[in-house]
Amino acid sequence: MSTVHATVTVTAEILRYDPTSDAAPRYQTFEVKGPANMRVLDVIRSIYEGQAADLAYQFACRIGRCGTCAVRVNGTPVLACQEVCKPAMRIEPLSPFPVLRDLVIDRSEIDDRYAALELVPQRAVPHDGTPEPVDPKLALNICAYDSCLACMVCVSACPAVDERPFDGPAFMLKLRQMAIHPADQRNRLPQALKGGMLECFGCDLCTQLCPADLSPAQAIRDFRRDMIFGAPR
Amino acid sequence: MSATGTLTIPRNSTHQAEGLLYGRTARLLNRVTGVAIVVFVAVHVIAQSVMHVPAFAGLRGAAPWLPALTTQNWIHAILLFSIVFHTLYGVRLVAGDLGIRLPYRATWWTTLGISAVFAAREILRYVGI
Repeated sequence: MSTVHATVTVTAEILRYDPTSDAAPRYQTFEVKGPANMRVLDVIRSIYEGQAADLAYQFACRIGRCGTCAVRVNGTPVLACQEVCKPAMRIEPLSPFPVLRDLVIDRSEIDDRYAALELVPQRAVPHDGTPEPVDPKLALNICAYDSCLACMVCVSACPAVDERPFDGPAFMLKLRQMAIHPADQRNRLPQALKGGMLECFGCDLCTQLCPADLSPAQAIRDFRRDMIFGAPR
Repeated sequence: MSATGTLTIPRNSTHQAEGLLYGRTARLLNRVTGVAIVVFVAVHVIAQSVMHVPAFAGLRGAAPWLPALTTQNWIHAILLFSIVFHTLYGVRLVAGDLGIRLPYRATWWTTLGISAVFAAREILRYVGI
């Protein structure tokens, strides 16, 4: 059993890139000593504080709830604040998003996509202001979908995003949340189809890597089932 | 903290990222097995043509190894593994789209296991068991 007394030396290769001044991205290697249970974010912060003060990275909550610290570690997208460090790590910004600098990605396209999907209940008539009864089981599902961090780990991991015109699992998950929402009167299936729902390989990589333990792949399968058999409501 | 003064490592909530990435492996294997099936069928058709179609008889001398290629035990084992894996994985995907919920880890190992059994059976057949 590992303890906090054990220390490790971590070799971290970080992809450095400043589009305003660098011709091309380059890897810079750092060594960090610390407890064996360090998280990847601890390694990055240590490098920033002791070795590379110009390293750009981002984080907020440090408890795996905000999703801003997501990076790729040895090719696998993870939350830096939750992933235990490895002896040798190659840390890169999330792909396929444009890089602002070093490990910071430009999230404006992500925000634009979320905004375009209109992820609030679209009502046929204005809400009268009184609470509406919701089946508790359904409410539980809606709340579960709400725990999506929008960290884009699933989008970065998705092989279909790389190869096909597919927006990504995270967007399908939020569309599914609206599709099952009793107050939402809009048919969300066309939106999902437009977003490339049928391009999903069904590999469940998004499900395996989701830090919130959600299953975007199941959301996509539910949409596909609705497409074949019709929506239950 | 335990009585011995040691502190266990906190739960790694992204432990899913460690070890085998089932989806990536399954998808790649599905592609590889699909290519294996297509290649075998193509080679089989060409080999049969060379052996039985008079118009292609001239190729027998140019590629004498071609007919023998379709009778190799290990190729049959790979072919059977490929066919079974590709079929079962495809059925799993279709079942998911039809609303049948299947655990992806369990179905991966089941698919792999059944495919391996077919491949092993082919190998054992050739060694006389």
